[in-house]
Amino acid sequence: MDESQLRAELKALIVKELNLQGRDPAAIDDDALLFGPAQNGTASLGLDSLDALQLAMSVEEHFGIRIPEGDDARPIFRSVRTLATHVMASRASAAAG
Amino acid sequence: MRIWITGIGLVTPLAIGAEATWERLVRGDRAMAPITRFATEGYRAALGCEVRGLREATQAHAPNDAAWSRTAEMAYVAAREAIAMSGIDVKGRRVGLVVGGTTGGMLENEEVLAGVYADPSRSDELRGLLSHPLWATSDRLHETLGPFARVRTLSSACSSGANALIVAASWLLAGEVDAVVAGGTDGLCRLTLAGFNALAAIDPEPCKPFDARRRGLNLGEGAGFLVVERDDVARARKREPIAELAGWSLAAEAHHITNPEPTGATAERVIKRALARAGLEARDVDYVNAHGTATPLNDPMECAAIARALSPDVAVSSSKGQIGHTLAAAGGIEAGITALVVARQTLVPTAGLGEIDPACAGVSHVKGVGRAARVRAAITNAFGFGGMDSALVITEPELGREHAPSRRSVVVTAAATLTPVGLLGTHDSARAMEGDGSSIGPTLPPLESMLDLDRARRLDRPARLGAIVVGRALEDARGLSVERTGVILGSSFGSIDASAAFMHRIFAKGPRLASPAEFPNLVPSSPVGHASIYLGLRGPVLAAAELGASGECATMQAVELIAAGEADAIAAGDCEEANGIVERVIAALFASEGFSARGKHGEGGGAVILESEESARARGANVIARVTSVASWRAGDAAPSPPAPRDASRAQVISPRGLDGMGALLADSAWRDVPRAACVGSGGEHEALGAIAIAVAVSRIARGEASDVLVVGLSRGRGYLVALSAP
Repeated sequence: MDESQLRAELKALIVKELNLQGRDPAAIDDDALLFGPAQNGTASLGLDSLDALQLAMSVEEHFGIRIPEGDDARPIFRSVRTLATHVMASRASAAAG
Repeated sequence: MRIWITGIGLVTPLAIGAEATWERLVRGDRAMAPITRFATEGYRAALGCEVRGLREATQAHAPNDAAWSRTAEMAYVAAREAIAMSGIDVKGRRVGLVVGGTTGGMLENEEVLAGVYADPSRSDELRGLLSHPLWATSDRLHETLGPFARVRTLSSACSSGANALIVAASWLLAGEVDAVVAGGTDGLCRLTLAGFNALAAIDPEPCKPFDARRRGLNLGEGAGFLVVERDDVARARKREPIAELAGWSLAAEAHHITNPEPTGATAERVIKRALARAGLEARDVDYVNAHGTATPLNDPMECAAIARALSPDVAVSSSKGQIGHTLAAAGGIEAGITALVVARQTLVPTAGLGEIDPACAGVSHVKGVGRAARVRAAITNAFGFGGMDSALVITEPELGREHAPSRRSVVVTAAATLTPVGLLGTHDSARAMEGDGSSIGPTLPPLESMLDLDRARRLDRPARLGAIVVGRALEDARGLSVERTGVILGSSFGSIDASAAFMHRIFAKGPRLASPAEFPNLVPSSPVGHASIYLGLRGPVLAAAELGASGECATMQAVELIAAGEADAIAAGDCEEANGIVERVIAALFASEGFSARGKHGEGGGAVILESEESARARGANVIARVTSVASWRAGDAAPSPPAPRDASRAQVISPRGLDGMGALLADSAWRDVPRAACVGSGGEHEALGAIAIAVAVSRIARGEASDVLVVGLSRGRGYLVALSAP
């Protein structure tokens, strides 16, 4: 799977797991912030800490990878793009290992 | 009137018994140890605070009696100790019982529930589910320590035990009883460990409340019950008070289902209002037994609230550094500890606190071990999921003011129903009972169009039903301030189906994959908490658990709190989703009594807006009906006699679940010849029919179809009367 397919899959997972009813996954920007308010013109989905925990659990289950806990997870959960990069890297290292 | 604490019973992870627990608290002992009750492989934390030696201490029942949960056993031991210490005569029939809980018999039923979820045809071991609902604990205590004059079971998550004491105070002020045995109980179980794990709220090491390095809580278990008693009655039997319950307050944050309001504004508000209730000033308070969970979010919020509400040198400690978070029991246990702090003039510490987090500064933390101190008045805080905040003020005798008896009259200003007929307001809810249901079926209309889906995304189906029906009633109560309104909903069985799915997933996939978003929805008070958040209701918020009469019970609870002056307005009702496991269990266990899984188990709900007559008139509300009487009774009691209808020719009796037994029940009353109707058949059978019946009664009065309506709710061993009349 290439990274753009993976991003589409993650968007669908976000909408489903966080119950963002009525939202079109394809309309989520790759670089939009996932959490907190919009910053410096960058849009945000405005998710909160409970969403972060649910999303981490779902990504772990769906992709069979481990997501770090606490502050280490912050850069990974910045946007769909950063999350996809982490998932790709985790799978690659699992495959190599 | 003053409210004296004359008995304390504690079952804690430190010891069984109030005195033994106290000695270990003062020494700074901690109860954290590897959990033994179930295997903890796969959990982030294996530490917990378990109660030891319980079975030896109970002897309330035969070993392995399926009707008893560990939660009920702990409640029994604590309540028995409190009653013995107080010396009250329960059988004199002037003593009430209030039990706060969240998990009930979950530990005993986790495997059965997961099994039933995977294989719905399974019918073995179902008898154990009789111990599961919260009201089962109250039933066991009523059977073994009672009979009590009045019994109530409530949940407001982790403030349940404190709210049980507030309900007790309202009963005493209303003169309903002379004394109340009240508190909370909760047994440690996989569901809560997995859930708090999933919320990343558990410290794998012994917890450190208020510490800069704190990472979360440790789960505990236990029970704490107090006997609270009218001072004149206690004096007449020559008793001294241990301490006085001088003030109390409860309110909701309406903020978030798991996270506290960061400002602590509601926590500050309940502390101040509890002090005002006691007639005391901030400077009178020498000690606070904090909620102090050791989670990153709770502790700074709470310290900020205390610092704003009280003086900066007030001593603060959290007993959770010693006994863990005992959930529903915490409010009861910590009220008992706070009473002992006042009685012994000795502070208890926050064990585990080393380096105080600067965000938790502004108060005087008690570290290490206990120490002697002058304590005139103390406060104990309890905060629950959904933002249900409570504070109790416990003082030396006769420090604060006396309480005037309070029996404010209560009126109804709106009603709503959600049934297969549709979502109906005050005027149209009478139609919810039309027809026999055969042409409508037990299916509700789609809920999506009735909600703002963005804001409702965390609401599961029971919460959606509650938010919709309460929201519809609020619309009709035009101009009511939601900020000052509470909400109380029934919860017959809690979220059994969702709990079964949650546990099945844990057993099948491991606790690491427990869903953090689903976990808070498994607390019985979750639907009412969600409704409070969705609608912005910041008054008293809690769930009432009373089998098939939970809607009637919620209504009675709301009337009591308004009558006692705890709120000016409360939305009360019950909403139940179609509940597959409950229906199968009832059919399997009670086939001989005519119950069967007929597939008619429907869903829906009803709610009414109750207000103090004074505040309804003051805001120019359209008063539709007056609540002339609410009463409950248990099997073996004589049913209370309802006040006669003002106009028997225009009166009606509604019995939600059918008319069996009504003839005998009303034979000697002025309602004997009044026409009777049932709700069953008009939308499937379910546990919220009582709430629908009450809303229908209000609607009939609003339409001029009746001048007086008596709702009689009966449900296995318990009965409720709600009498309404045109104003």
